[in-house]
Amino acid sequence: MKQLRTLCIIIVLAGGAAATLTCADVKVIANPDVGAVSATSAEIKAIFLETKYALSDGSRVQPVILKGSACEAFARIYLGKSARGLETYYRGLVFSGTGLIPKMLDSESEIIAYVARTKGAIGYVSSTTATNGVKVLGVK
Amino acid sequence: MNDQKDEQMRVNTIVIAAALSLAPALSQAQFDFRAAGREVQVHGFLSQGLGYSNQNNFLTMNTSQGSAAMTDFGVNVTSQLTDNLRAGAQLYARNVGQLGRWRPLFDYAYVDYRFKSWLGVRAGRVKTQLGLYTSTQDADFLRPWALLPQAVYPTDLRSTNIAHDGVDLYGAIPLGRAGSLDYTAYAGVRPDDKYSGLYYQFEDVGWTAHDQISASMTGADLRWNTPLSGLTVGASQIFQKERTALPSTGIAPPGFPAPLPDIEAVAGPDRTFAGYADYALGRLHFAAEYRRNLDYVDLQGWPTGRYVRNLSERAWFVSASYRVNQRVEFGAYNSRYYVDHPAALDAPGPPPDQSAYHIFDQAVTLRVDLAHFWNVKLEGHFIDGVGDPFSPHGFYLRVNGTNLDPSLKPTTNLVVIRMGWDF
Repeated sequence: MKQLRTLCIIIVLAGGAAATLTCADVKVIANPDVGAVSATSAEIKAIFLETKYALSDGSRVQPVILKGSACEAFARIYLGKSARGLETYYRGLVFSGTGLIPKMLDSESEIIAYVARTKGAIGYVSSTTATNGVKVLGVK
Repeated sequence: MNDQKDEQMRVNTIVIAAALSLAPALSQAQFDFRAAGREVQVHGFLSQGLGYSNQNNFLTMNTSQGSAAMTDFGVNVTSQLTDNLRAGAQLYARNVGQLGRWRPLFDYAYVDYRFKSWLGVRAGRVKTQLGLYTSTQDADFLRPWALLPQAVYPTDLRSTNIAHDGVDLYGAIPLGRAGSLDYTAYAGVRPDDKYSGLYYQFEDVGWTAHDQISASMTGADLRWNTPLSGLTVGASQIFQKERTALPSTGIAPPGFPAPLPDIEAVAGPDRTFAGYADYALGRLHFAAEYRRNLDYVDLQGWPTGRYVRNLSERAWFVSASYRVNQRVEFGAYNSRYYVDHPAALDAPGPPPDQSAYHIFDQAVTLRVDLAHFWNVKLEGHFIDGVGDPFSPHGFYLRVNGTNLDPSLKPTTNLVVIRMGWDF
């Protein structure tokens, strides 16, 4: 019983709110020139963690993300990181000489506008955001 | 000595004043620009620290009197030149006590071509993938700690493995439901840093390395991004061969003939193994790493016959931190370093008590993010042991007595305050 109470405390401290976020809360969007209509969650993770630069159909993509805590939902659902953890990860890539920080934008409207006009761009918005001019990728 | 201290204080005052005046701008600045149609990212950091210890001087600083000689900064430039080709460079300089002496060095300067996600090549001066933090050890803004666990990431011995001039093969291999593997294999030559513990350890006991301490490096790192979200485990292995001429300076440690003879030190292959794990669970973060160094140095030219110095050692740390909110994080770590074969074992006379040759460090940290990219840390260290003063790991004879009469006490309590900015 003591161990169970300790575990519950740890889960609460750890920020159990993450358990309430699901894939339905976020849409992955891509430039219309991207050939793929869907991607696996593992591919999405690899793309945004910069270990992969193309989808399985060969479409070359480059990620764009929201600045700061606005990317919390996407980071937790698809990347297994908090927004802060993701920022730390990207900065670690730069300062170790193993990567770049992806394009960061301030709002979802800027994300959509950027993805719409930039060949190969891939980003995300909340599920309720209109996505005119971009392709919504199904995530398997 | 007082003139040097005054000069150091003047420099530190200028650094702090400049940083404080720039902090608001830096916290909002983005220094990206376009050149020849390509985006170029510019990033950097600056940190200024203060150390105070109740006794013993640490990391060549006069911490027993309070020392602000704890400054480092770096700036990097990176650009994705084509879809598969990237290039970057980072310049770094530090002045930590007598370490670094403001001398700028290239941390990295590379070109990187990614053929496939599972195969890329990186060449030039490349940071070494060894353990959890080798390649990012200077970027303290990435972590809660003012000082990384010194048992595994000694600030004074940074140059022994932080980078290599050579070539890396690397890649990411998806494992489906089993997560993914990241691998790196490399070969090269270790860059030289004359103002590092590697040189000072020889000077303090009676030798001087006029020439470069050259070393070849080969190694590999394999890390498993497990299916359990937030958990990464891995292992690294590195081999180094070193050779350097060491003329005598005329002094010697107790029990050894003075002056020490002129020798040539040949080491290798030195083997370093690292096993590590990192787990992020919401606001909690746990990390642990074990290191094993097997290092035998053949001191050629010893007058009484062959003398092979055993410098093997073991080390590990465990850490935990908790982010309270966007601004506050606290944590603690326990760091342990063991000397397998202290130099005193090779001196005439009764063997010393080997259980005394260690450095145990219990650290507690509070980090406050004053603004985005601007942080301050308050850290306390409760250190037991000084390792082997004739193969130092933070405790150098040059600031702690002399080679014949080390003034090192068995314990050290150290407070470090460190402020940092990055962009």
